[in-house]
Amino acid sequence: MAVIGIESSAHTFGVGIVDNGKVVANAKAMYKIGSKGMIPREVAETHLNNAANVIQEAVQEAGITFKEIEGIGYTKGPGIGHCLHVGLLSAKTLAKKLNIPIVPVNHGIGHIEIAKKRAKLRDPLALYVSGGNSQILKKYGDRYKILGETFDIGIGNMLDSLARSLELYPAWGSTVEKTAENGRYIEMPYTVKGMDFSFTGLLTHASKMKGKHNDKDICFSVQETAYAMLTEATERALLLTNSKELCVCGGVAQSKRLKRMLKGMAEEHNIKFGYAEDTFNADNGAMIALVAEQMLAHGRKAKLQECGIEQRYRIDEVKLWKE
Amino acid sequence: MERVSEGAEAIMFEIKLSGNPLLVKVRNRKSWRIANIDEELRKSRTRKEAKLMIMAKKAGAAVPGVAAIGKYSIFMQKIDGKLLKDSKPTAKEMQTIGRYLGYMHAKGITHGDFTSANLMLTTNGPYIIDFGLGNFSNSEEEKALDLLLLERSISKDDYANARKGYASVSKEYLTVISRLNEIKKRGRYQTRTLLS
Repeated sequence: MAVIGIESSAHTFGVGIVDNGKVVANAKAMYKIGSKGMIPREVAETHLNNAANVIQEAVQEAGITFKEIEGIGYTKGPGIGHCLHVGLLSAKTLAKKLNIPIVPVNHGIGHIEIAKKRAKLRDPLALYVSGGNSQILKKYGDRYKILGETFDIGIGNMLDSLARSLELYPAWGSTVEKTAENGRYIEMPYTVKGMDFSFTGLLTHASKMKGKHNDKDICFSVQETAYAMLTEATERALLLTNSKELCVCGGVAQSKRLKRMLKGMAEEHNIKFGYAEDTFNADNGAMIALVAEQMLAHGRKAKLQECGIEQRYRIDEVKLWKE
Repeated sequence: MERVSEGAEAIMFEIKLSGNPLLVKVRNRKSWRIANIDEELRKSRTRKEAKLMIMAKKAGAAVPGVAAIGKYSIFMQKIDGKLLKDSKPTAKEMQTIGRYLGYMHAKGITHGDFTSANLMLTTNGPYIIDFGLGNFSNSEEEKALDLLLLERSISKDDYANARKGYASVSKEYLTVISRLNEIKKRGRYQTRTLLS
């Protein structure tokens, strides 16, 4: 069955279509992040302007007609309220117009499920790293459990803030990664507590190094420290849960260095490691469609008037399905 | 030298020193992180853990004795017994565990992973093992977290006894408990359950 998914939790308005678990379209339009980061009202406005076109584009890419779409999913949260509303509105409009079932989807679950699918993993421990989230999760029965997470900000947020304070543009993680090439290590605070970790101390310390050390060395040191923290916490969770598979997902999973570290760690323990292609690690509609299709197949359709958004929608609140 | 167990951070070996068994905890090299970070972490954590063990023992808790400290390794007394998670403790044993935790907290020592997997029952009473996540801290938060981890890893009755023992020696019992209740009300802990 063809199911369409709409994602709009942050800077990306994405529309994906899946057909029996196969991604047949993944269209998106992004808000350009300037020196001030994301201004919610402006991002939402951009999404509103793009919504109709991106939906149209996805349907064309899939080579189907609107009539062939049998279900719709949208991101309920977590995310920026203004932005989520645009996705909700688009999804409700489509559901009503096409008279198809609708289901709210948790953004984080989208990231994990698409990584699982693309990497062909069955029951992995998941490291979910994005702008606002950094969590270590595993599915037990019909629910994901959070084993470890950030005490303060998400890793993506930390990298974006670092880029802004060093005045590197575009201010996001991949610029930090590029700047870090051939850097040398300067000491940074390293905060892991069991399977939890914290990034604000690292960010404050690194921001104070501006001017005293060159950007290259600061970026290198922050990146090595932050990724080592994540990898260490993940390693502990892997052994505790006795997992045989590991996946990394979310926007920051696009980082080559993070993947290399995780791969090295997984190899030491003979654990199968996988991840999705970059386009599915960045925010996208396909992952929402993928989860929506499964949820609808398990009878999780929602009443149209009950569909809403939740800015702090936590992964472990969601009842899913048993494998 | 016999390999006893392998954790995320360290490998445990058993050796014989003039006939007596000793455990050696070795923090092994993690090739996935850069050497600067790796060496500093392993060195400082080894030193800190050994210090925590020595201080906890001084504070009155039963902790394996530290025989020697290497750059990345701790040589310690081998404790014969069963892990709390695999046994049925008596009320007295649970009270003793609570008391030990109270002694440690009074001296500003927190364990950081105070679960039934890190408590051992022996013929000489309970022992606290693995200070790898411990800290020198007088923060109510960290102390409350020790209690929370214990509570989540054992039965209600066992916890009630441990808490009784803790209350009997801890001067800051009430403030730690009120912090514990506050932690439980926070969103992220409400929905989060620990594996045990």
